[in-house]
Amino acid sequence: MSNVIETEVLSKKYENVYRVKDVDLLVPEGAIYGFLGPNGAGKSTTLKMVLGLAKPTAGEISVFGKRVNSKNRLENLKNVGSLIESPSYYGHLTGEENLQIFQTLRGVPKQNIDEVLKIVRLDNQKNKKVSQYSLGMKQRLGLASALLGYPKLLILDEPTNGLDPAGIQEMRELIQSLPQKFGMTVVVSSHLLSEIDQLATRVGIIREGEMVYQDSLTKLHQYSQQHLAVRTMNNEVTKSFLSQNGVAWEVQDDYLIIPQMKDSMMSEISKVLGQNNIGLVRIEERKKSLEDIFLELTGTAVSL
Amino acid sequence: MRAAIRMEVLKVKGRKIWLVVAVMMGVQMLWAGWAISNKDANDLAQGWMFFLYQFPMLNCIIMPVIAAVVASRLSEVEHKGQTFKLLETIVPANRIFDAKFIWGSIYMFGAALGQVAIMIGMGLMLHFGGPVPWGALGGYLFFTLVVSLTIYAFQQVVSMLVVNQMVPMTLGLVGGFIGLFSMFFPQGFQKFILWSYYGVLMLVGMNWDQNTRAIDFYWTAIDWSGFALIFVFFGLIYGIGRILFMRREV
Repeated sequence: MSNVIETEVLSKKYENVYRVKDVDLLVPEGAIYGFLGPNGAGKSTTLKMVLGLAKPTAGEISVFGKRVNSKNRLENLKNVGSLIESPSYYGHLTGEENLQIFQTLRGVPKQNIDEVLKIVRLDNQKNKKVSQYSLGMKQRLGLASALLGYPKLLILDEPTNGLDPAGIQEMRELIQSLPQKFGMTVVVSSHLLSEIDQLATRVGIIREGEMVYQDSLTKLHQYSQQHLAVRTMNNEVTKSFLSQNGVAWEVQDDYLIIPQMKDSMMSEISKVLGQNNIGLVRIEERKKSLEDIFLELTGTAVSL
Repeated sequence: MRAAIRMEVLKVKGRKIWLVVAVMMGVQMLWAGWAISNKDANDLAQGWMFFLYQFPMLNCIIMPVIAAVVASRLSEVEHKGQTFKLLETIVPANRIFDAKFIWGSIYMFGAALGQVAIMIGMGLMLHFGGPVPWGALGGYLFFTLVVSLTIYAFQQVVSMLVVNQMVPMTLGLVGGFIGLFSMFFPQGFQKFILWSYYGVLMLVGMNWDQNTRAIDFYWTAIDWSGFALIFVFFGLIYGIGRILFMRREV
C-alpha cells in the first residue's frame, strides 16, 4: 500500500523552540489516520506544514508521491480537502453562497454544492446565513467545503472541537463513511483518545513535537494485552529463576511483571518457588488500558 | 484571476461598502455647497479652480478614511471567518492579494469619479465661469486616483496582515490628519508624507492678498518629481506588502 502523505524529519521551530521535531508522518492510502496528541503537541503545525500554510524549518513533505515545494504546492493540493482548527466561513453569507465561493475558486462543477450539502445534511439550511448556524452546523459546512472537489485526501484538524456528544457522533459517522463511499484517505487529528479509537485504522501519536508512536490501531491495542504481576518473598532469586526458564519479566514497584501464561505453567512456577523456599505472596492479573498506553507515550493525562 | 475578483464581489454582498463611499461623497458635496454658497459672481468666475484647489485639500482626510474603511471591510470578512487558511490551499496568496486590491480600487475609482461628478454638477448648476475644464478635471481624476490607490495599497497591506481592524482604521485616520496638517509645511517636507500627495499633485495654486483679503487662483505646473515619487511609494508599498502577505503563516 502506497503512502498518500510522507514526511521526512519534518521540523518546525518558533523562536528557537521546536514545535515539531523530526516527524516522519506516514499516511497509507485508504486509511483513516488518527493523529493523536495532547493540546499543543504539534498536530496542527504538522498538518499546516503539509498544506503549505506554515513553512518547515527542516525536512521534506511528499503528497501523492510528489515532493512538495512552493511551486507545485497548489497543484498537489488540488486533490486535498482540509479543515484546519476551525471551519472557515463568511458569516454574512448563506451556506450555499459560502460553498459557491470555494466551488468557483476550486473550479469544480456547480452541482457539487448540492451534493456536498446533502452529504453533510445541510441541504435544508443552505439559504440560512452562516452566522445563524450552530457550531455543529458550521463544522459540517467546513467539512462540506473540504469535500467540494471530492478530494482523494481529506485533512481534518480537530473536527469535533466544541461539538456536543450528538454532534461528535454525527461527525464521526460522516468521517467513517468517506473512505468507503468516495475512496478517500482521511487524516483526523484529535486530542481525544476515545475519538481516534472509534474512528481510525492507523494512528500516530505526537508528544511535544515528536512522533512517539505510529502504527495500526490494532497494534496499539496489543499493548494492552493482559499480563501477570507476581510478588514473592525474594524477588531477586525469582528473577534469575524466571530468566533461566525463558520467562520475560520486568520490575514494577514490588512486583515482577510477566506475560500471561497457561495455568499449568504458572502452577509449575509456584511449585518450584515453593521448593526453593521462596514464598509466593501475590499473583494478579493486570491489563493496561489504552489510556495507560497513551499516558505512557505522551506523559499527559487523557483528555475526556 | 477573474474568478478571484468575481468572488470578491460575492464576499462583500450586503456589506454596504458603497454606502460608506456614498456617505463620504455626500459629506464632500455638502462641504462644497457650503464653501461655494458665500461666493459672489466674481468668485464664481474662478469656481472651477476653487473646486480643484479645495477638493484635494479635503481629500487629504476624506480619501484616507474611505481607503481605510474599504480595505478594512474587505479584509475583515476573511479575518472574521478565518478564511485565509482555506483560501490559501486553493488560490495562491498573491492572487488573493491582487484580487482584493483590484476590487478595492473600484471603490476608490468610484469615489474619485463621484468627486468629479460633484464638481461638474455644481459647476454647471452655479454657472461657473468658462467652459468645463475637462483636461484639468481629467488630470484631477488621474492624480487623485494615483494617490488614493497608493494609500489604499497601504491600508490593504495593514488590514490583511493585522487581524484587529482598529489598527488600520486608526492609521488611516491619523494619516489623513497628518496629510491635512502637512499642507502648512514646505512642499519638500510634504513629499515624505504619503497622505499629503493630494496637495503635492494639485493643479491649482492660490494667492491670498493680505491687504485686500482677496483670493486669486491660478493654474500650476504638474509636479513631476512628486508624481514619480508617489509611483515609487506605490511600488514599494504594494511590492513589500504583497511579499509579507505571501510569506506570513496562517
